[in-house]
Formats: sequence, structure tokens, C-alpha cells
Amino acid sequence: MSKSVTRREFLNLLAAAGGTAAALNAGTALGLLPGSAAAASLDLLQLGATRKQVAILGGGLSGLTTAYELSKFGYECTVLEASHRCGGRILTLRHGDLIDEIGNRQYCEFDAEPHMYFNAGAARIPSSHRNMLHLCKELGVELEVFINENKMAWVQDDNLLGGKRIRNIEYTTHARGFMAEVMSKGMTASEMDAPFSEAEAETLMGMIRSFGDLTMDNVYRGSFRAGYAEGGFLEHGVQQDIIAFRDLLRTNMGRMLLGANEGDTGPILLQPVNGMDMTIKALEQRLAGKVRHRAMVTAVQVHDKGVDINYDQDGSSHSLQADYCFNCIPTHLMVGIKHNFPADYVSAMKYPRRGEAYKAAFQAKERFWEQEDIYGGISWMNNPSGQIWYPNHGIHKAKGVVLGAYDYGGGMYHTVMTHEERVEAHLHDGEKLHANYRNLVEKPVTVGWHRMNHMLGCSARWERTRGGWSHAEEQMYHTLQAPVNGRHYCIGDQMSMHSAWQESAVMSAQWAIAELDKRVRAELA
Amino acid sequence: MSSRLMVALGLCLLFGSTAHAAAEREPYNDRYCTTCHGSEGGGNEGIQAPRLAGMEAAYLRRQLENFRAGIRGTHPQDIEGIAMRPMAVKLTDASIDDIVVWVGGWPYVPAAPTISGDVAAGQRLYSNCASCHGENAEGLPSFNAPALAGQNDWYLVTQLRDFMAGYRGTHPQDIFGAQMRTMATTLGDDSGIMNVVSYINTLGR
Repeated sequence: MSKSVTRREFLNLLAAAGGTAAALNAGTALGLLPGSAAAASLDLLQLGATRKQVAILGGGLSGLTTAYELSKFGYECTVLEASHRCGGRILTLRHGDLIDEIGNRQYCEFDAEPHMYFNAGAARIPSSHRNMLHLCKELGVELEVFINENKMAWVQDDNLLGGKRIRNIEYTTHARGFMAEVMSKGMTASEMDAPFSEAEAETLMGMIRSFGDLTMDNVYRGSFRAGYAEGGFLEHGVQQDIIAFRDLLRTNMGRMLLGANEGDTGPILLQPVNGMDMTIKALEQRLAGKVRHRAMVTAVQVHDKGVDINYDQDGSSHSLQADYCFNCIPTHLMVGIKHNFPADYVSAMKYPRRGEAYKAAFQAKERFWEQEDIYGGISWMNNPSGQIWYPNHGIHKAKGVVLGAYDYGGGMYHTVMTHEERVEAHLHDGEKLHANYRNLVEKPVTVGWHRMNHMLGCSARWERTRGGWSHAEEQMYHTLQAPVNGRHYCIGDQMSMHSAWQESAVMSAQWAIAELDKRVRAELA
Repeated sequence: MSSRLMVALGLCLLFGSTAHAAAEREPYNDRYCTTCHGSEGGGNEGIQAPRLAGMEAAYLRRQLENFRAGIRGTHPQDIEGIAMRPMAVKLTDASIDDIVVWVGGWPYVPAAPTISGDVAAGQRLYSNCASCHGENAEGLPSFNAPALAGQNDWYLVTQLRDFMAGYRGTHPQDIFGAQMRTMATTLGDDSGIMNVVSYINTLGR
């Protein structure tokens, strides 16, 4: 049996949370923390007549950003990309695209229309990710708002109300009502020695009532926030029935539902119009002639005066001599490529675990979610497929592409299945939300990032335990961040303490570029 | 070497221009090996994918066929085998021919040792292995036993553990695997595995 939480402990928890939020607000007001202002452009030394060759291994976002930035300052850049395409885990699938998953090579069969695409990797840019947004702005990549949380979307758990789907807004309204009632009882209990002044207590009570839509006697009697059962415009609205707190607690999904728009998904989220890879296309356009596709690196040798690279392309071996090398090849693949890196550097490269994230999508024959008052956002299911995302682009058009599964934590459950088994699993799961789902969707794509060719993993996982980074892990990270001989730099979101975001990839590149600039300035001074 | 190269080139052309062209909109073949198994099949600890360079053609072919048929890589605890299998399932006989020739063209370079154990104890244990795998772990084709010397030691450890635990070698059609499983159990425990692999690390090839 789990330990019960006393009223006192509960209030202490509340007070602790309030204290943190207060401190953060003060920090922003004083200008200590970054607000939403745009990032500045890099200011590197222009090389002028000095020639510097740079080899960039991997055409992911960090690699292309490096090539783009350095080219502006006179560096001669060559990008070697092993795959048929650039972008790495920025993968937008459209009609005819190859999904190069090892053992599950597929072609995307969506209709050939601009809004019929699926962001199978990166899908959201938080408005607080200033460097990524700055890059989009500089590249002229048009952005639109991405709808992440939609209270009209569904929640479904076999344990909740006999598996009946309910609106997110029903769950969260009732959950907040009951939680607020518990809080208010704690506040008014006579045995409690008050941690607040009377005025503070009244303010807090007001907040609690508002949080849960309590009546003035601090009781939750349902709320119109959960939507009307009927009426509401030409006639008085009829309130939805309350779902008992006990019933709400039959699912664990409240944790996700009440925290869905927090942390990285708290800020307004954005997406490039026509697909996440519009940034990649814009970078490639500016790097015309400098990117070699299907060029698979086979050796990296770092010397005192440069870096020698061998690669295979078109069935033959090639070599490239560079003064500097920026490398965003996933470290778990780099250790299998010939190299002469120091032993501690190699140990650090072997350490991060390979991310296992998994995504799948369908073409929907009609935009059935819009008939259910859903325009964008995410429905949550307590089953392995996990989520259904509805596109907020292409509103009211004939068709759309829905995300049919997203497993961002584990992912191997679906990854080890065949393509056909995966699709059947998602149809089975999705039918619990949309009765006719199986007949409404077609042309599936499934992407197991653990098996995607030339990547073999989603974002790098440096932390082996949930308790945060160990000292040894931080040491390895810093070992790998430091350049070898001042010539070879590891980049990519793998070289950040917050992997899986495009901001991390861009910032890793900027960090390495700034290091290089320092060295070049010293050398040329 | 040159004739090998010619065969490889011939097969490459065959796949590139005819067999796959109809079905594939991108020019792709089944030569995925080096993504996981490293440059020229030297093995990659980061993916736990063993060295292929220097592997006997017959052994390589048999393992690819076993993976494809589900004789290997289907036990739920065989994590690395499960990762390998989906690739093999897609292979045609012609693709396997192509891969065996391609892999055969890679130079043999012994893998660097990464583990340590009691070499003397390992030598005593190895006497059981030598009858099939050879005195110097050079492999004996007549016994269908591959070379062990020069293979990634972490891979040998994983496979011995899998044989011992029944994650490999228990499929009814895995005849040689079943023989190997019987022998692996003679190593006793994990220290026996570490010791015998440490000894194999001392053998040249």
C-alpha cells in the first residue's frame, strides 16, 4: 500500500512549487534569463585571402548549419552525407519519398499535394528555441503555429469509464475541480497553522477556486468548462455530467494531460509551412555544390595540421584533406568507422545509448476529426500507439495526414514488429478513438528510428539513470565536446545536454564554430 | 582479387540497373552491412555488430540464411539477433550471393582486445573448443566451425552467453548451433566465458 499524503505535506508541496515559479518570474523581470528575443548572428573572423578547408561529416541540421555559417566567413566547406538525403532526423515524408529503414524500406504513397506530408522526426519548434528560430528567419523559412494541446481532442483508456473516449477538456476540467476542492479543504482546516497572511490566503483561495471552477463555498459541482452537453448559444447550455474523481483516477493519463503543455512544449510551438525539412532544403540551396550525397565516410585520421577523410561514393573510394572537421555522425556509428581518436574520446563515443523513438502515420481519406470539432492537436490513448496527432495545416481540405502512433520513450515494442504488424497495431488502437478508423485511413508509413539507415537511433541518451547526469557522464560529455588536436569537432544534438531538439543541434554547431573561430583568430593574429 | 572485384562489379551493375530498378524509385540495393558492421566490416561495438571481414564465406552465407529463415534471431532474448533479422528477411538468394562476394573483398584485420580474464584458465577450457575451431582458433571448414581468432571479443562473449542461456542454438533446425550450445555449457559460468575469450585473444591468425 502506498503512503498517504497528509494535508500538511500536500500544502508544503504546493508552497514549494509556488516558490520556484516566483523565483523564475523574478529572474526574467531582471533580465537574468533569456526571454523570447531573437538570437544574434555569429560574428566570426572573415578569412579574406586565407584558405581553410572544412570537412563536415553528416548532413543533419548541425552539419548543414556549420557549413552554412562557416561559408559566410570564407571557409571552403564540403559536406559528406551517407544517405540519399540530408536532414537526418528532420524527415518530412511526402509522395514518393523513400523511408530507408533497414529491413523495412518503404515509399510514401500519400497524395501529391503540398499539405499531405508527415514530419516523421522533428515536428515542433518551441518559441523559446531562439537559435533555431533565428536560423529559420535568416533562411526565409515561413513558419506557422503548430497546435500541440487541443482540449477538444480525445482521451481513451480501457480502464476509464469502460473504455469510452472523453474529451481532454472533460478530463482536465473535472480533475482540476476535484484537486481544487482538496486544496481548498486544506486551506480552511482549523488545525492548520497558517503559512500565509489572511490577504494572501484569500488570494490563494481565489486562485484555487479559479483553477478548479469551484463554487463560492469551495465545492466542485461540475463546470461549463468541460463543454456543453447541449445548447449554449440560442438556448441555455446544459452542463456535462460530472465524472466522479474515483473514476478519473482509474487512468494514469492525468499526469500527461495536466502536463502536456509544460516544459519544452509550454511556449507557443511553430512549424515550417509545408514541412519541417523546409529548413534543410533552404540550407542545401545555399550550399549548392558543397554537399555530396550517398558519400559514406570510411576513415577519419586527425593530424597536427588537419584531418584526412576517406569515403565511398558511386562504388569507389575517395579522399578529402581538410584543415578542420566537424562531425555529426552518430557516435555509435562513428566508432565503427576507422579513426585515430584518443582512447578516452572513443570511450565517450561508445557511451550514449541509442534513442528508440518510433512514429507512424496514415493518409486520412477525409478529415474526420474536423467533424468532431477537432482542429489540430493530440488525442491520448493508454495503449502502445499512444497518440494521434491531427494536422492543423490544410484545414477543411479533402484529406490530411494523421500521426497514428508516437512512442517517444521506448519504441522497441513497435520497432521489432514487421511493417504489417505495426500498421495493424495502430489500426486496432486507433479504433478505440475513432470507430471507423480502419476505413478512414490508408497508405501507412512507419518509422523505427532505431533502425533508420545511417542513423541507427533517435536522440542520444547520455543519462543511464533517471536521477540526472552522473559526474562520470558529464566528464565524458566534456571530453567529447573538446576538439581533438583543435581539428576535429563532434557536433549534433548528441553534443548537448538536452538532445532531441533542433535547437540543441544548432547550438552544438555554434559552440564548435565559436571554438574554431578562437583558434583561427589566435593563429592568424 | 581482381576476379572477385569483377564479380562484385557485375552483381552491382545487375542490381543497380535491372533487378531493383523496377520496384525502386531510388537507386538502392541490399548492401546495408557497413552501416552497422563498420567500415569494411571491421565490426562496431557501438551497435554490437561483429566484424564480417575475414569471415568464411560458407559461415557468412549460412548465418544470413539462418537469420532469413528464422533459425537465428527469433529468440526474444537475442537482442542483437533480433536487430539483424529484419535485414536478412528481405534478402533474395541473389542478394546473399552479392553480399558474400562483397564482404569477401574486405581486408582481414584482427579486432583489438577489449576484455581481460585468466588466460591460463582459458587455455585449459579451450581444449574443448580446439577440436572444431582449430588449435589456433583459425576455424575448421570441415567441421563447419568458423574462426574465432581476430573476432571482436565482446561479440564472442555475447554469443557464448546466448548459447549457454539458450538464446541461440535452440531452434530445432539450427544443427550446428545445437552442437555449439552443448559445448558452451562446458564453460561453466560467465568467468569461464571471459577466460576462454581472453585466451582466444592471444591467438594469431
